[in-house]
Amino acid sequence: MADVSLQTTPRARSGRRNLRLWLPLAWITTLGMAALFAPLIAPHDPLYQDLFLERLPPFFMSGTEPGYWLGTDSLGRDVLSRVIYGTRIALCVSLIAATATCLVGSTLGLLAGYFGGWWDRVISRLIEIWMAFPPVLFAVLLVAVMGTGLTSVIVAIALIDWTRFARVIRAETMVQAQMDYVDSAQIGGARRLTTLVSEILPNVLPSIVALLMLEMGIAVIVEAILSFVNLSLSSDVATWGSMIAEGRNAIHFAWWVLLFPLIALFLTVLSFSQLGEGLKQRFDPVLQ
Amino acid sequence: MTMSSTLNIQNLTVSLRSGLPLLRQVNLTLEPGEVRALVGESGAGKSMIGKAVLGTLPPATRVTHGQIFLRGQALDHLNAAQRRHCVAQSAALIPQDPLTALNPVRRIAPQITDPLTRIHGWSAERAQTRALELLHRVEIRDPARVMRSYPHELSGGMRQRILIAAAFAPSPPLIVADEPTTALDVTVQKQILKLIRELQKEVGTAVLFVTHDMGVVAKISQKVSVLFQGRVMEDSTTEAIFSNPTHPYTRALIAATPSYADPARSFSPVPPELIAQMKSKIAQEEIW
Repeated sequence: MADVSLQTTPRARSGRRNLRLWLPLAWITTLGMAALFAPLIAPHDPLYQDLFLERLPPFFMSGTEPGYWLGTDSLGRDVLSRVIYGTRIALCVSLIAATATCLVGSTLGLLAGYFGGWWDRVISRLIEIWMAFPPVLFAVLLVAVMGTGLTSVIVAIALIDWTRFARVIRAETMVQAQMDYVDSAQIGGARRLTTLVSEILPNVLPSIVALLMLEMGIAVIVEAILSFVNLSLSSDVATWGSMIAEGRNAIHFAWWVLLFPLIALFLTVLSFSQLGEGLKQRFDPVLQ
Repeated sequence: MTMSSTLNIQNLTVSLRSGLPLLRQVNLTLEPGEVRALVGESGAGKSMIGKAVLGTLPPATRVTHGQIFLRGQALDHLNAAQRRHCVAQSAALIPQDPLTALNPVRRIAPQITDPLTRIHGWSAERAQTRALELLHRVEIRDPARVMRSYPHELSGGMRQRILIAAAFAPSPPLIVADEPTTALDVTVQKQILKLIRELQKEVGTAVLFVTHDMGVVAKISQKVSVLFQGRVMEDSTTEAIFSNPTHPYTRALIAATPSYADPARSFSPVPPELIAQMKSKIAQEEIW
Protein backbone atom coordinates (compact mmCIF):
# COMPACT_ATOMS: atom_id res chain seq x y z
CA MET A 1 0.00 0.00 0.00
CA ALA A 2 2.80 2.34 0.93
CA ASP A 3 4.44 1.71 -2.42
CA VAL A 4 1.29 2.57 -4.28
CA SER A 5 0.83 5.91 -2.52
CA LEU A 6 4.50 6.77 -3.04
CA GLN A 7 4.16 6.14 -6.74
CA THR A 8 0.93 8.01 -7.32
CA THR A 9 1.60 11.20 -5.36
CA PRO A 10 4.16 12.83 -7.69
CA ARG A 11 2.12 11.96 -10.72
CA ALA A 12 -1.04 13.42 -9.20
CA ARG A 13 0.86 16.57 -8.32
CA SER A 14 2.29 16.99 -11.79
CA GLY A 15 -1.21 16.47 -13.19
CA ARG A 16 -2.59 19.28 -11.02
CA ARG A 17 0.33 21.46 -12.03
CA ASN A 18 -0.42 20.82 -15.70
CA LEU A 19 -4.08 21.70 -15.13
CA ARG A 20 -2.92 25.00 -13.70
CA LEU A 21 -1.09 25.58 -16.97
CA TRP A 22 -3.59 24.21 -19.47
CA LEU A 23 -6.91 25.55 -18.13
CA PRO A 24 -5.78 29.20 -18.17
CA LEU A 25 -4.10 28.64 -21.51
CA ALA A 26 -7.37 27.24 -22.93
CA TRP A 27 -9.36 30.26 -21.70
CA ILE A 28 -6.83 32.74 -23.04
CA THR A 29 -6.67 30.96 -26.40
CA THR A 30 -10.47 31.12 -26.57
CA LEU A 31 -10.27 34.85 -25.88
CA GLY A 32 -7.59 35.26 -28.54
CA MET A 33 -9.77 33.47 -31.09
CA ALA A 34 -12.79 35.56 -30.08
CA ALA A 35 -10.75 38.74 -30.49
CA LEU A 36 -9.33 37.75 -33.89
CA PHE A 37 -12.55 36.47 -35.40
CA ALA A 38 -15.02 38.73 -33.59
CA PRO A 39 -16.87 39.81 -36.77
CA LEU A 40 -17.40 36.15 -37.74
CA ILE A 41 -18.42 34.87 -34.32
CA ALA A 42 -20.52 37.71 -32.95
CA PRO A 43 -24.20 37.17 -33.80
CA HIS A 44 -24.93 40.91 -33.99
CA ASP A 45 -23.27 44.28 -34.51
CA PRO A 46 -22.10 45.25 -30.99
CA LEU A 47 -23.16 48.86 -31.59
CA TYR A 48 -26.52 48.27 -33.27
CA GLN A 49 -29.30 49.64 -31.10
CA ASP A 50 -32.81 48.26 -31.22
CA LEU A 51 -34.99 50.02 -28.66
CA PHE A 52 -37.82 47.52 -29.18
CA LEU A 53 -35.54 44.76 -27.86
CA GLU A 54 -34.15 46.50 -24.79
CA ARG A 55 -33.17 44.49 -21.66
CA LEU A 56 -33.92 41.07 -23.06
CA PRO A 57 -32.97 38.36 -20.52
CA PRO A 58 -30.40 35.63 -21.32
CA PHE A 59 -31.38 32.33 -22.96
CA PHE A 60 -32.21 30.36 -19.81
CA MET A 61 -34.93 32.77 -18.67
CA SER A 62 -38.42 33.37 -20.00
CA GLY A 63 -39.26 36.17 -22.44
CA THR A 64 -36.17 35.84 -24.66
CA GLU A 65 -35.79 36.50 -28.35
CA PRO A 66 -33.95 33.85 -30.41
CA GLY A 67 -30.43 34.87 -31.33
CA TYR A 68 -29.81 37.01 -28.24
CA TRP A 69 -28.04 34.37 -26.12
CA LEU A 70 -26.95 36.59 -23.27
CA GLY A 71 -29.74 39.13 -23.57
CA THR A 72 -29.52 42.81 -24.46
CA ASP A 73 -28.69 46.00 -22.57
CA SER A 74 -30.81 49.10 -21.97
CA LEU A 75 -30.25 50.28 -25.56
CA GLY A 76 -31.12 46.90 -27.05
CA ARG A 77 -27.52 45.99 -27.97
CA ASP A 78 -26.55 42.29 -27.89
CA VAL A 79 -24.57 41.50 -24.70
CA LEU A 80 -22.78 38.45 -26.17
CA SER A 81 -21.55 40.41 -29.19
CA ARG A 82 -20.37 43.22 -26.95
CA VAL A 83 -18.47 40.81 -24.67
CA ILE A 84 -16.82 39.27 -27.74
CA TYR A 85 -15.81 42.64 -29.18
CA GLY A 86 -14.68 43.76 -25.70
CA THR A 87 -12.14 40.94 -25.78
CA ARG A 88 -10.23 42.81 -28.48
CA ILE A 89 -9.61 45.84 -26.29
CA ALA A 90 -8.90 43.75 -23.19
CA LEU A 91 -6.29 41.55 -24.90
CA CYS A 92 -4.74 44.40 -26.84
CA VAL A 93 -4.24 46.46 -23.70
CA SER A 94 -3.04 43.53 -21.61
CA LEU A 95 -0.46 42.40 -24.18
CA ILE A 96 1.02 45.75 -25.13
CA ALA A 97 0.78 47.48 -21.76
CA ALA A 98 2.08 44.51 -19.75
CA THR A 99 5.00 43.96 -22.14
CA ALA A 100 5.96 47.63 -22.04
CA THR A 101 5.67 47.68 -18.24
CA CYS A 102 7.76 44.52 -17.99
CA LEU A 103 10.52 45.85 -20.25
CA VAL A 104 10.86 49.15 -18.42
CA GLY A 105 10.56 47.74 -14.89
CA SER A 106 12.74 44.65 -15.37
CA THR A 107 15.53 46.59 -17.07
CA LEU A 108 15.68 49.14 -14.26
CA GLY A 109 15.45 46.38 -11.65
CA LEU A 110 18.30 44.39 -13.21
CA LEU A 111 20.53 47.46 -13.50
CA ALA A 112 19.86 48.59 -9.92
CA GLY A 113 20.27 45.10 -8.49
CA TYR A 114 23.51 44.23 -10.26
CA PHE A 115 25.45 47.46 -10.65
CA GLY A 116 24.43 48.85 -7.24
CA GLY A 117 26.05 52.13 -6.24
CA TRP A 118 24.66 55.15 -8.03
CA TRP A 119 22.43 53.07 -10.31
CA ASP A 120 20.74 51.55 -7.30
CA ARG A 121 20.49 54.81 -5.38
CA VAL A 122 18.85 56.69 -8.25
CA ILE A 123 16.48 53.89 -9.30
CA SER A 124 15.46 53.03 -5.74
CA ARG A 125 14.64 56.65 -4.91
CA LEU A 126 12.65 56.87 -8.13
CA ILE A 127 10.66 53.76 -7.16
CA GLU A 128 9.94 55.11 -3.69
CA ILE A 129 8.77 58.47 -5.01
CA TRP A 130 6.66 56.77 -7.69
CA MET A 131 4.99 54.46 -5.21
CA ALA A 132 3.95 57.37 -3.01
CA PHE A 133 1.40 58.35 -5.71
CA PRO A 134 -2.04 56.70 -5.37
CA PRO A 135 -2.07 54.54 -8.54
CA VAL A 136 -5.68 54.88 -9.68
CA LEU A 137 -5.66 58.63 -9.16
CA PHE A 138 -2.38 58.79 -11.03
CA ALA A 139 -3.86 56.85 -13.95
CA VAL A 140 -6.97 59.03 -14.08
CA LEU A 141 -4.79 62.13 -13.98
CA LEU A 142 -2.49 60.86 -16.74
CA VAL A 143 -5.36 59.94 -19.06
CA ALA A 144 -7.06 63.23 -18.33
CA VAL A 145 -3.89 65.08 -19.33
CA MET A 146 -3.02 62.96 -22.38
CA GLY A 147 -6.60 62.62 -23.58
CA THR A 148 -8.63 59.43 -23.81
CA GLY A 149 -7.71 56.65 -26.20
CA LEU A 150 -5.96 53.29 -26.32
CA THR A 151 -2.44 54.75 -26.40
CA SER A 152 -3.08 56.85 -23.31
CA VAL A 153 -4.38 53.83 -21.41
CA ILE A 154 -1.32 51.77 -22.35
CA VAL A 155 1.12 54.54 -21.46
CA ALA A 156 -0.69 55.13 -18.17
CA ILE A 157 -0.47 51.46 -17.18
CA ALA A 158 3.24 51.26 -18.03
CA LEU A 159 3.99 54.48 -16.17
CA ILE A 160 2.15 53.37 -13.04
CA ASP A 161 3.12 49.75 -12.75
CA TRP A 162 6.82 49.55 -13.74
CA THR A 163 7.69 49.81 -10.03
CA ARG A 164 6.11 46.40 -9.41
CA PHE A 165 8.69 44.81 -11.74
CA ALA A 166 11.58 47.04 -10.72
CA ARG A 167 11.22 46.26 -7.00
CA VAL A 168 10.88 42.50 -7.31
CA ILE A 169 13.50 42.06 -10.04
CA ARG A 170 15.96 44.31 -8.21
CA ALA A 171 15.68 42.15 -5.08
CA GLU A 172 16.01 38.92 -7.07
CA THR A 173 18.99 40.26 -8.97
CA MET A 174 20.72 41.25 -5.73
CA VAL A 175 20.30 37.70 -4.41
CA GLN A 176 21.69 36.23 -7.64
CA ALA A 177 24.58 38.71 -7.75
CA GLN A 178 25.82 37.30 -4.41
CA MET A 179 26.12 33.82 -5.88
CA ASP A 180 29.56 32.34 -6.52
CA TYR A 181 28.78 31.65 -10.16
CA VAL A 182 28.73 35.40 -10.81
CA ASP A 183 32.24 35.69 -9.37
CA SER A 184 33.29 32.70 -11.46
CA ALA A 185 32.01 34.38 -14.62
CA GLN A 186 33.94 37.54 -13.71
CA ILE A 187 37.14 35.58 -13.10
CA GLY A 188 36.49 33.89 -16.44
CA GLY A 189 36.75 37.33 -18.02
CA ALA A 190 33.07 38.03 -18.74
CA ARG A 191 32.18 41.71 -19.05
CA ARG A 192 29.77 43.09 -16.44
CA LEU A 193 26.94 43.53 -18.93
CA THR A 194 27.53 40.05 -20.38
CA THR A 195 27.41 38.60 -16.87
CA LEU A 196 24.14 40.39 -16.21
CA VAL A 197 22.49 39.28 -19.44
CA SER A 198 23.79 35.73 -19.84
CA GLU A 199 24.32 34.60 -16.23
CA ILE A 200 21.87 36.51 -14.02
CA LEU A 201 18.95 37.22 -16.38
CA PRO A 202 18.18 33.52 -17.06
CA ASN A 203 17.94 32.96 -13.29
CA VAL A 204 15.55 35.88 -12.86
CA LEU A 205 13.51 35.05 -15.96
CA PRO A 206 10.96 32.73 -14.28
CA SER A 207 10.03 35.57 -11.92
CA ILE A 208 9.82 38.02 -14.80
CA VAL A 209 7.44 35.71 -16.67
CA ALA A 210 5.25 35.17 -13.59
CA LEU A 211 5.09 38.93 -13.01
CA LEU A 212 4.38 39.57 -16.69
CA MET A 213 1.36 37.28 -16.57
CA LEU A 214 0.14 38.91 -13.37
CA GLU A 215 0.62 42.30 -14.99
CA MET A 216 -1.50 41.24 -17.98
CA GLY A 217 -4.35 40.53 -15.58
CA ILE A 218 -3.81 43.83 -13.82
CA ALA A 219 -3.73 45.69 -17.15
CA VAL A 220 -7.17 44.25 -17.98
CA ILE A 221 -8.46 45.48 -14.63
CA VAL A 222 -6.94 48.96 -15.00
CA GLU A 223 -8.42 49.28 -18.47
CA ALA A 224 -11.81 48.26 -17.07
CA ILE A 225 -11.48 50.79 -14.25
CA LEU A 226 -10.64 53.55 -16.71
CA SER A 227 -13.57 52.52 -18.93
CA PHE A 228 -15.78 52.48 -15.87
CA VAL A 229 -15.01 56.13 -15.20
CA ASN A 230 -15.30 56.83 -18.93
CA LEU A 231 -11.62 57.65 -19.42
CA SER A 232 -10.55 54.80 -21.65
CA LEU A 233 -12.11 54.83 -25.09
CA SER A 234 -14.99 56.66 -26.67
CA SER A 235 -18.37 55.09 -25.99
CA ASP A 236 -18.73 53.76 -29.55
CA VAL A 237 -16.27 50.95 -28.75
CA ALA A 238 -17.48 48.01 -26.68
CA THR A 239 -15.25 47.36 -23.66
CA TRP A 240 -15.90 45.23 -20.59
CA GLY A 241 -15.35 48.19 -18.31
CA SER A 242 -17.88 50.39 -20.05
CA MET A 243 -20.39 47.52 -20.12
CA ILE A 244 -20.01 47.11 -16.36
CA ALA A 245 -20.43 50.86 -15.90
CA GLU A 246 -23.60 50.93 -18.00
CA GLY A 247 -25.00 47.77 -16.45
CA ARG A 248 -24.61 49.25 -12.99
CA ASN A 249 -27.66 51.51 -13.53
CA ALA A 250 -29.91 48.55 -14.33
CA ILE A 251 -28.44 46.04 -11.84
CA HIS A 252 -31.79 45.42 -10.11
CA PHE A 253 -33.82 44.45 -13.17
CA ALA A 254 -31.24 43.59 -15.87
CA TRP A 255 -28.29 42.12 -13.92
CA TRP A 256 -27.02 40.17 -16.98
CA VAL A 257 -25.75 43.32 -18.61
CA LEU A 258 -23.28 43.65 -15.72
CA LEU A 259 -22.70 39.98 -14.90
CA PHE A 260 -21.36 38.59 -18.18
CA PRO A 261 -18.56 41.11 -18.79
CA LEU A 262 -17.72 40.75 -15.08
CA ILE A 263 -17.36 36.96 -15.45
CA ALA A 264 -15.19 37.43 -18.54
CA LEU A 265 -13.01 39.92 -16.66
CA PHE A 266 -12.73 37.68 -13.59
CA LEU A 267 -11.80 34.56 -15.57
CA THR A 268 -9.24 36.46 -17.61
CA VAL A 269 -7.46 37.97 -14.62
CA LEU A 270 -7.50 34.64 -12.80
CA SER A 271 -6.18 32.83 -15.88
CA PHE A 272 -3.27 35.20 -16.33
CA SER A 273 -2.15 34.92 -12.70
CA GLN A 274 -2.47 31.12 -12.70
CA LEU A 275 -0.68 30.88 -16.03
CA GLY A 276 2.18 32.91 -14.56
CA GLU A 277 2.61 30.51 -11.64
CA GLY A 278 2.23 27.48 -13.93
CA LEU A 279 4.88 28.77 -16.34
CA LYS A 280 7.25 29.61 -13.50
CA GLN A 281 7.05 26.07 -12.20
CA ARG A 282 7.31 24.56 -15.61
CA PHE A 283 10.34 26.43 -16.86
CA ASP A 284 12.42 26.68 -13.71
CA PRO A 285 14.78 23.67 -13.95
CA VAL A 286 15.47 23.88 -10.22
CA LEU A 287 11.79 23.77 -9.18
CA GLN A 288 11.25 20.73 -11.35
CA MET B 1 60.53 39.75 -5.89
CA THR B 2 61.75 38.76 -9.33
CA MET B 3 59.67 39.42 -12.42
CA SER B 4 59.38 35.68 -12.96
CA SER B 5 57.16 35.20 -9.88
CA THR B 6 53.66 34.08 -10.78
CA LEU B 7 52.22 36.12 -7.98
CA ASN B 8 53.83 38.78 -5.85
CA ILE B 9 51.85 40.59 -3.16
CA GLN B 10 53.51 43.52 -1.43
CA ASN B 11 52.23 45.22 1.72
CA LEU B 12 48.62 44.45 0.82
CA THR B 13 46.12 46.06 3.16
CA VAL B 14 42.40 45.51 2.59
CA SER B 15 39.92 47.33 4.80
CA LEU B 16 36.20 47.58 5.29
CA ARG B 17 34.65 50.94 4.40
CA SER B 18 34.48 51.67 8.13
CA GLY B 19 38.30 51.48 8.21
CA LEU B 20 38.61 48.12 9.96
CA PRO B 21 41.52 46.28 8.29
CA LEU B 22 40.87 42.71 7.10
CA LEU B 23 44.39 42.20 5.71
CA ARG B 24 47.35 44.00 7.27
CA GLN B 25 50.55 44.52 5.25
CA VAL B 26 50.48 41.07 3.67
CA ASN B 27 53.56 40.00 1.71
CA LEU B 28 53.78 36.79 -0.22
CA THR B 29 55.24 35.39 -3.41
CA LEU B 30 54.35 32.38 -5.47
CA GLU B 31 56.88 30.99 -7.94
CA PRO B 32 55.74 29.15 -11.09
CA GLY B 33 54.53 25.64 -10.33
CA GLU B 34 54.64 26.18 -6.59
CA VAL B 35 51.85 25.36 -4.12
CA ARG B 36 51.48 27.75 -1.22
CA ALA B 37 48.99 27.07 1.55
CA LEU B 38 47.28 29.92 3.38
CA VAL B 39 46.26 28.70 6.83
CA GLY B 40 44.57 30.31 9.77
CA GLU B 41 41.29 30.22 11.66
CA SER B 42 38.01 31.59 10.25
CA GLY B 43 38.14 35.32 9.68
CA ALA B 44 41.93 35.38 9.46
CA GLY B 45 41.70 36.75 5.90
CA LYS B 46 42.78 33.66 3.97
CA SER B 47 40.02 33.90 1.38
CA MET B 48 40.39 37.70 1.22
CA ILE B 49 43.88 37.34 -0.27
CA GLY B 50 42.51 35.15 -3.07
CA LYS B 51 39.62 37.55 -3.65
CA ALA B 52 41.96 40.55 -3.76
CA VAL B 53 44.08 38.83 -6.42
CA LEU B 54 41.09 37.73 -8.53
CA GLY B 55 39.30 41.08 -8.19
CA THR B 56 36.19 39.70 -6.50
CA LEU B 57 36.43 41.52 -3.18
CA PRO B 58 33.00 42.20 -1.63
CA PRO B 59 31.59 45.69 -2.40
CA ALA B 60 32.08 46.86 1.21
CA THR B 61 35.87 46.36 1.08
CA ARG B 62 38.74 48.34 -0.46
CA VAL B 63 42.41 47.76 -1.16
CA THR B 64 43.81 50.64 0.88
CA HIS B 65 47.50 49.95 0.50
CA GLY B 66 50.01 47.77 -1.31
CA GLN B 67 50.39 46.16 -4.70
CA ILE B 68 49.63 42.89 -6.44
CA PHE B 69 51.82 41.74 -9.33
CA LEU B 70 50.41 38.94 -11.47
CA ARG B 71 53.23 37.58 -13.66
CA GLY B 72 55.04 40.88 -13.23
CA GLN B 73 52.01 42.99 -14.18
CA ALA B 74 50.94 45.46 -11.48
CA LEU B 75 47.18 44.98 -11.27
CA ASP B 76 46.43 48.34 -9.67
CA HIS B 77 47.78 50.17 -12.72
CA LEU B 78 45.02 48.70 -14.89
CA ASN B 79 41.46 49.85 -15.33
CA ALA B 80 38.61 47.49 -14.46
CA ALA B 81 38.29 45.96 -17.93
CA GLN B 82 42.05 45.49 -18.44
CA ARG B 83 42.36 44.03 -14.98
CA ARG B 84 39.57 41.54 -15.59
CA HIS B 85 41.19 40.48 -18.85
CA CYS B 86 44.63 40.14 -17.24
CA VAL B 87 43.24 38.04 -14.36
CA ALA B 88 41.16 35.88 -16.72
CA GLN B 89 44.24 35.16 -18.84
CA SER B 90 46.51 34.17 -15.97
CA ALA B 91 44.31 32.85 -13.18
CA ALA B 92 41.38 30.62 -12.31
CA LEU B 93 39.43 29.77 -9.18
CA ILE B 94 38.40 26.51 -7.58
CA PRO B 95 35.63 27.78 -5.31
CA GLN B 96 34.62 26.67 -1.86
CA ASP B 97 30.99 25.77 -2.44
CA PRO B 98 30.35 23.67 -5.56
CA LEU B 99 26.59 24.07 -5.09
CA THR B 100 26.49 27.79 -5.85
CA ALA B 101 29.57 28.11 -8.08
CA LEU B 102 27.81 26.72 -11.15
CA ASN B 103 24.97 28.68 -12.73
CA PRO B 104 21.83 26.58 -12.04
CA VAL B 105 20.05 27.45 -15.29
CA ARG B 106 22.95 26.90 -17.69
CA ARG B 107 24.27 23.59 -18.92
CA ILE B 108 27.75 22.46 -17.85
CA ALA B 109 29.38 22.71 -21.30
CA PRO B 110 29.29 26.51 -21.77
CA GLN B 111 30.29 27.05 -18.16
CA ILE B 112 33.58 25.26 -18.85
CA THR B 113 34.17 26.45 -22.41
CA ASP B 114 33.08 30.12 -22.15
CA PRO B 115 36.41 31.40 -20.72
CA LEU B 116 38.37 29.27 -23.19
CA THR B 117 36.69 30.76 -26.26
CA ARG B 118 36.21 34.24 -24.83
CA ILE B 119 39.60 34.96 -23.25
CA HIS B 120 41.98 32.43 -24.70
CA GLY B 121 40.56 32.71 -28.20
CA TRP B 122 40.09 28.99 -28.73
CA SER B 123 37.73 27.62 -31.35
CA ALA B 124 34.50 26.06 -30.07
CA GLU B 125 35.65 22.57 -31.13
CA ARG B 126 39.02 22.90 -29.43
CA ALA B 127 37.38 24.13 -26.20
CA GLN B 128 34.86 21.28 -26.36
CA THR B 129 37.62 18.68 -26.84
CA ARG B 130 39.67 20.14 -24.00
CA ALA B 131 36.63 20.18 -21.68
CA LEU B 132 35.83 16.53 -22.44
CA GLU B 133 39.48 15.60 -21.95
CA LEU B 134 39.60 17.24 -18.53
CA LEU B 135 36.24 15.86 -17.41
CA HIS B 136 37.60 12.46 -18.30
CA ARG B 137 40.79 13.31 -16.40
CA VAL B 138 38.84 14.16 -13.22
CA GLU B 139 37.26 10.71 -13.42
CA ILE B 140 33.80 11.68 -14.57
CA ARG B 141 32.08 8.80 -16.28
CA ASP B 142 30.28 9.68 -19.51
CA PRO B 143 31.66 13.25 -19.86
CA ALA B 144 29.54 13.89 -22.97
CA ARG B 145 26.34 13.39 -21.00
CA VAL B 146 27.61 15.51 -18.08
CA MET B 147 28.43 18.34 -20.50
CA ARG B 148 24.75 18.44 -21.49
CA SER B 149 23.50 18.27 -17.88
CA TYR B 150 22.31 21.02 -15.59
CA PRO B 151 24.15 21.41 -12.27
CA HIS B 152 21.20 20.21 -10.18
CA GLU B 153 21.35 16.85 -11.92
CA LEU B 154 24.84 16.19 -10.50
CA SER B 155 26.15 15.44 -7.01
CA GLY B 156 28.26 17.87 -4.97
CA GLY B 157 31.42 15.81 -5.50
CA MET B 158 30.83 15.70 -9.26
CA ARG B 159 30.24 19.43 -9.39
CA GLN B 160 33.49 20.09 -7.51
CA ARG B 161 35.34 17.85 -9.98
CA ILE B 162 33.75 19.77 -12.84
CA LEU B 163 34.93 23.04 -11.28
CA ILE B 164 38.44 21.62 -10.96
CA ALA B 165 38.33 20.59 -14.62
CA ALA B 166 37.09 24.06 -15.57
CA ALA B 167 39.86 25.75 -13.58
CA PHE B 168 42.63 23.62 -15.12
CA ALA B 169 41.20 23.61 -18.67
CA PRO B 170 43.08 26.74 -19.90
CA SER B 171 46.30 25.58 -18.10
CA PRO B 172 46.48 28.87 -16.20
CA PRO B 173 49.75 29.93 -14.52
CA LEU B 174 47.83 30.52 -11.25
CA ILE B 175 44.92 28.80 -9.56
CA VAL B 176 43.36 30.02 -6.34
CA ALA B 177 41.81 27.08 -4.52
CA ASP B 178 39.51 28.53 -1.86
CA GLU B 179 38.91 25.71 0.64
CA PRO B 180 37.91 23.39 -2.22
CA THR B 181 37.24 20.43 0.07
CA THR B 182 35.41 22.10 2.97
CA ALA B 183 31.88 21.58 1.61
CA LEU B 184 32.50 17.94 0.75
CA ASP B 185 32.25 14.56 2.40
CA VAL B 186 35.48 13.31 4.01
CA THR B 187 35.75 10.39 1.58
CA VAL B 188 35.29 12.72 -1.40
CA GLN B 189 37.78 15.22 0.07
CA LYS B 190 40.66 12.79 -0.35
CA GLN B 191 39.90 12.14 -4.04
CA ILE B 192 39.56 15.85 -4.73
CA LEU B 193 42.89 16.66 -3.08
CA LYS B 194 44.58 13.91 -5.05
CA LEU B 195 43.11 15.25 -8.29
CA ILE B 196 44.21 18.81 -7.60
CA ARG B 197 47.75 17.65 -6.75
CA GLU B 198 48.03 15.46 -9.85
CA LEU B 199 46.66 18.08 -12.23
CA GLN B 200 48.85 20.75 -10.64
CA LYS B 201 51.93 18.64 -11.40
CA GLU B 202 50.78 17.82 -14.95
CA VAL B 203 49.88 21.37 -15.91
CA GLY B 204 52.63 23.05 -13.86
CA THR B 205 50.24 25.56 -12.35
CA ALA B 206 51.08 27.56 -9.25
CA VAL B 207 48.36 27.14 -6.62
CA LEU B 208 47.34 29.41 -3.78
CA PHE B 209 45.63 26.88 -1.54
CA VAL B 210 43.36 28.34 1.14
CA THR B 211 42.62 25.93 3.98
CA HIS B 212 42.27 25.65 7.73
CA ASP B 213 43.28 22.02 7.78
CA MET B 214 46.94 21.44 8.70
CA GLY B 215 46.61 17.84 7.50
CA VAL B 216 45.80 19.12 4.00
CA VAL B 217 48.72 21.56 4.18
CA ALA B 218 51.18 18.75 4.85
CA LYS B 219 49.85 16.78 1.88
CA ILE B 220 49.69 19.43 -0.80
CA SER B 221 51.94 22.45 -0.32
CA GLN B 222 55.61 23.37 -0.49
CA LYS B 223 55.24 26.76 1.22
CA VAL B 224 52.93 27.95 3.97
CA SER B 225 51.75 31.36 5.12
CA VAL B 226 50.15 31.34 8.56
CA LEU B 227 47.59 34.10 9.02
CA PHE B 228 46.06 35.61 12.10
CA GLN B 229 43.70 38.58 12.00
CA GLY B 230 44.79 39.51 8.49
CA ARG B 231 48.50 39.40 9.31
CA VAL B 232 51.11 36.91 8.11
CA MET B 233 52.53 35.43 11.33
CA GLU B 234 54.91 33.00 9.70
CA ASP B 235 56.00 32.37 6.11
CA SER B 236 58.10 29.31 5.51
CA THR B 237 58.44 26.01 3.72
CA THR B 238 56.02 23.28 4.71
CA GLU B 239 58.86 21.12 6.01
CA ALA B 240 60.13 23.87 8.28
CA ILE B 241 56.62 24.71 9.51
CA PHE B 242 56.03 21.17 10.71
CA SER B 243 59.56 20.28 11.89
CA ASN B 244 60.50 23.60 13.40
CA PRO B 245 57.64 26.11 13.77
CA THR B 246 59.06 29.40 15.03
CA HIS B 247 55.87 31.26 15.94
CA PRO B 248 53.90 30.08 19.00
CA TYR B 249 50.65 30.42 17.04
CA THR B 250 51.90 28.03 14.36
CA ARG B 251 52.88 25.55 17.07
CA ALA B 252 49.41 25.88 18.60
CA LEU B 253 47.71 25.35 15.21
CA ILE B 254 49.73 22.19 14.56
CA ALA B 255 48.96 20.94 18.06
CA ALA B 256 45.24 21.54 17.46
CA THR B 257 45.17 19.20 14.44
CA PRO B 258 43.34 15.96 15.33
CA SER B 259 45.51 12.88 15.17
CA TYR B 260 44.12 9.45 14.45
CA ALA B 261 47.19 7.80 15.95
CA ASP B 262 46.74 9.48 19.31
CA PRO B 263 43.13 10.66 19.77
CA ALA B 264 43.63 11.52 23.45
CA ARG B 265 46.29 14.10 22.57
CA SER B 266 44.40 15.58 19.66
CA PHE B 267 41.97 17.89 21.44
CA SER B 268 44.18 20.83 22.27
CA PRO B 269 42.67 24.09 21.01
CA VAL B 270 44.76 27.20 20.53
CA PRO B 271 45.21 28.67 24.05
CA PRO B 272 43.04 31.77 24.60
CA GLU B 273 45.95 33.56 26.37
CA LEU B 274 48.03 33.30 23.20
CA ILE B 275 45.21 34.73 21.08
CA ALA B 276 44.65 37.59 23.52
CA GLN B 277 48.37 38.33 23.55
CA MET B 278 48.59 38.38 19.73
CA LYS B 279 45.49 40.59 19.45
CA SER B 280 46.88 43.14 21.88
CA LYS B 281 50.22 43.13 20.05
CA ILE B 282 48.50 43.81 16.71
CA ALA B 283 46.37 46.53 18.31
CA GLN B 284 49.49 48.20 19.75
CA GLU B 285 51.28 48.18 16.40
CA GLU B 286 48.20 49.69 14.78
CA ILE B 287 48.39 52.70 17.09
CA TRP B 288 51.99 53.40 16.09
